[in-house]
Amino acid sequence: MMDPLRHPADELQLLLDRQLSSDRRAEVEAHLASCPHCQRELDALRRVKRVLRVDLPEHPVPSEVAARVSAALAAESSARVTRRSPAARLWRWAAVAGLSLGAAAAVFLIVVARGARSDPVGAVAHDFASYRAATLSFQLETPEPPTLERFFGSRMPFPTRVFDFGMMGFRLAGGKVHRLAGRQSALFAYENASGQRVLCQMYQGRLSELPPGAEEREHDGVRFRIYLTAGSTLVFWQEGSVVCVLATDGDLEAAVLLAYAKAIKT
Amino acid sequence: MSHDDAAERQARFESLALPFMRALYNTALRLTGNADEAGDLLQETYLRAYRTFDNFRPGTNCKAWLFTILHSVFINSRLKARREVGPLPVDELEERFHLFVEPPEGGSGDVEAWGAHWTGEVEAALRALPEAFRAAVLLVDVQELTYEEAGTALGCPVGTVRSRLFRGRRLLFAALQHYALRAGYPRSPEQ
Repeated sequence: MMDPLRHPADELQLLLDRQLSSDRRAEVEAHLASCPHCQRELDALRRVKRVLRVDLPEHPVPSEVAARVSAALAAESSARVTRRSPAARLWRWAAVAGLSLGAAAAVFLIVVARGARSDPVGAVAHDFASYRAATLSFQLETPEPPTLERFFGSRMPFPTRVFDFGMMGFRLAGGKVHRLAGRQSALFAYENASGQRVLCQMYQGRLSELPPGAEEREHDGVRFRIYLTAGSTLVFWQEGSVVCVLATDGDLEAAVLLAYAKAIKT
Repeated sequence: MSHDDAAERQARFESLALPFMRALYNTALRLTGNADEAGDLLQETYLRAYRTFDNFRPGTNCKAWLFTILHSVFINSRLKARREVGPLPVDELEERFHLFVEPPEGGSGDVEAWGAHWTGEVEAALRALPEAFRAAVLLVDVQELTYEEAGTALGCPVGTVRSRLFRGRRLLFAALQHYALRAGYPRSPEQ
């Protein structure tokens, strides 16, 4: 049996992780060629690395955990304002002194509302509800997607594609530069002859930061994450560094077909 | 700080840090072995990161920065005291690994393959690794941090990361071989 000290054990790992200089690599590879012990050791390390890097499943973040994190950040952000604003200090003093339970309740509601606003899913559902209630205003009202695209061109930090749903009977109503969960988003909306509505948004982010949806689907190499909320179906997908979302009051399959029609694999 | 400043700061932080939520959560899950504790660890990590966001240098690796905080929170919390859940018999597994690389006459009991369908066993073996080895393996092999980034996150020199990683990988291999044999997996043809 060979003296184990003569096997370049640690350097096998460096070889596996591409951390060896080319000279040293050549020496270790020469040793490997004639040493079954080191060949097996390298094989073992490689198999472990592969199973960890490739085969280990990624668990989704439970939606309640993601919501807790968002709410905690919103509360922390709110507290930073509170700590430094003289007016807010007065309010806090009033609340602490028990002079205004109503004020304390108001602060609580602000924190909760901010928490909801930092969740893109909840925020899109909220925007869609505003659109249906006709309380959402546009910066530019136009039925022409290219016109709205030009409008976004100089205002958004990424290229915005305003979808043409004409073939599906939906007419563009207009759009605006919007804030979605603290991020800049391009928002645009449609309506068809029977009053059905579609609202789309694009913002810089990752699909992976969203909570698990009701369903995930894949079509033409694009992954779609679907959420069902009271009164709307939301479909999210990723295009490069941008997350696209489509919200509609149509049923799930109708929403998915609209998203399939416009999503681009990147 | 005005509302606008705070909102802008929060938006900047979220756009940089939230994309790593899943990676952090998975690591927290494997460090603590418990979904509730992982959620607490994740939330505390984000809060600490947000409070110290002014220290983060734009252009540096945000993921490595967040993992540094995650590990620090984990180590400093009471979770540490609760983490031990039947550690692997290290000496026995190291001996098993040596039997694999230096098989005695008649074969060592190597099995053909384990992989995607073995995730339950991999998770179990990871959970049972001594914490120092587990953290190195999680950061380098699963999260793909460099040795240097992992060293910063773990608060130890690069040489220590290398050594922990090496031992962690060997122990995992031996543990997986053990699980595979116990489950009756076929031995490889040359054995």
